[in-house]
Amino acid sequence: MGEVKLFFGPNHPGMHGNFSVHMYVEGDIVKRARPLPGFLHRGFEKLMERRYWYSNIALIPRICVPEPDINEACYAMGVEKIAKLDVPERAQWIRMIVLELARIANHLMAVGGVGGPIGLYTASYWGTADRDRILDIFEALTGARVYHMYIVIGGVRKNLTPKIEDMIWKTLDYIESRLPDYENLIFKNRILHSRLKGRLLLTREQALEMGVTGVGLRATGVEYDVRKVDPYLFYDKVDFEVPTATDGDAFSRVYLKFKEISQSIKIIRQALEKMPQGDKVNVAVSKGSALRRIVPKGMAYAHIESARGEYGFFVVSDGKNKPYRVAVRGASYPQGLYGIEKYLPGTRIEDVPLWLATMDVCAPEIDR
Amino acid sequence: MMSSMNDVVKSLEGFNPFIEEIDEREVKVTVSPDRVIAVLETLKANGYSHLSLMTCVDWIDDNQLELVYILFSWKDGGKFIVSTRIDRNNPKFFTVKELWPVARFYERELHEFFGVEFEGNDDMRPLFLELWDEKPPLRKDFDPRDYSRKKFPDRKYEKDVIKEAKIFRGEING
Repeated sequence: MGEVKLFFGPNHPGMHGNFSVHMYVEGDIVKRARPLPGFLHRGFEKLMERRYWYSNIALIPRICVPEPDINEACYAMGVEKIAKLDVPERAQWIRMIVLELARIANHLMAVGGVGGPIGLYTASYWGTADRDRILDIFEALTGARVYHMYIVIGGVRKNLTPKIEDMIWKTLDYIESRLPDYENLIFKNRILHSRLKGRLLLTREQALEMGVTGVGLRATGVEYDVRKVDPYLFYDKVDFEVPTATDGDAFSRVYLKFKEISQSIKIIRQALEKMPQGDKVNVAVSKGSALRRIVPKGMAYAHIESARGEYGFFVVSDGKNKPYRVAVRGASYPQGLYGIEKYLPGTRIEDVPLWLATMDVCAPEIDR
Repeated sequence: MMSSMNDVVKSLEGFNPFIEEIDEREVKVTVSPDRVIAVLETLKANGYSHLSLMTCVDWIDDNQLELVYILFSWKDGGKFIVSTRIDRNNPKFFTVKELWPVARFYERELHEFFGVEFEGNDDMRPLFLELWDEKPPLRKDFDPRDYSRKKFPDRKYEKDVIKEAKIFRGEING
């Protein structure tokens, strides 16, 4: 029959966001693959240059849909680095709690996202339902379920009340009690093993050469985590492990995400205990309206470990009330563009959505 | 600056760099365009092997484009921001796809958004934009509002309330 061209996406139930892969297949085997981004290009970097420093907070969570808090955190940390602002200690702990809650929510959704392409729909239902419990916390804390706009330049928008702290403790207990069920029903399931074990292999050298970060790299046995290597916030003051695996296959990547959930729970519990009490969670940067804020000249790169890997903002200021340039480093840029072109040839058609799901290719942050 | 970064900075002295310390673990190195590749190679050999980001800043008042490479070391957590300035009217530079394969896509993106040509990178097809017919959009002199007004001009729309009411009541088909 010869070579046939097939389209995966841009609209596909197994795809998070609109992203297209053109596959040239012979039988079931992919011979060549071409990534086609751009369906979600909204021009954020240009938009940010035309808005005030503070009003960008409302815009940037939309860059990455499943885990929006990392955008706010990176942006705020980058600006604080240029302006040399001292953020109140309590605000930094609250940021950590928010980021880890977002990581749990994203990992639960990712575990559910794998359920779709392989036909294990229990994972999708469970993941989505349990993620909703975390969204409830966000709603109580920030007033919004998905786009929180909570981490602002100089701190966080509102204080964490004892009632919400209590809610976090209870939700963490609930999610922890659910983890054995996930292990038994999903990670010991035959469907998952036969579809993911030994598929989409990456060696350590390939992962490092490609520039992959996050679970894609840690599944090859490298203990590289920005939280450990370049600690931001108070990650050097809490005790947690970075789970790794040596197989480098799709199964170990999903399983690492699952293991990271319990580490995140551990971090949040420590943060809630170590956090100082008080009301001061943000600093006033300038007199009068926050919109008139001026950030001194300079440039800085702030990066954090998101659920998908290294996520960063490069912020340039020319001393005016608007950013001069903001560049976003999407965590899935290497595996979503170079990885698809290089490592998908030779795999089967049904493995293509698995690459996108287990390597966490997130279209909105590639396109921006 | 960390001591391990200090040693690396010393090894760069031959390239006549301008060193700026942003943070304890973040250093900006500005060099002339002909020395960038050598600086990047030296840094890569010294453990700064992860290309975090490659981007560009348009300094329209100086008539220059600043190319920025951010390198990260997984060993000590240090970041080097390697920057160089090229002519804005004739933006040409060299590819680094041999050092980092993913740079091919970053270069494609910069070609699309800033109009920079990268010698040695033959794949310069548009990446994100479709049927783009204006100057590169992330340059400072590109105004998105003017563009959209020109590209999608306002149409005259006169509302016929009576007709709409009739359609609403089902008297005529709209």
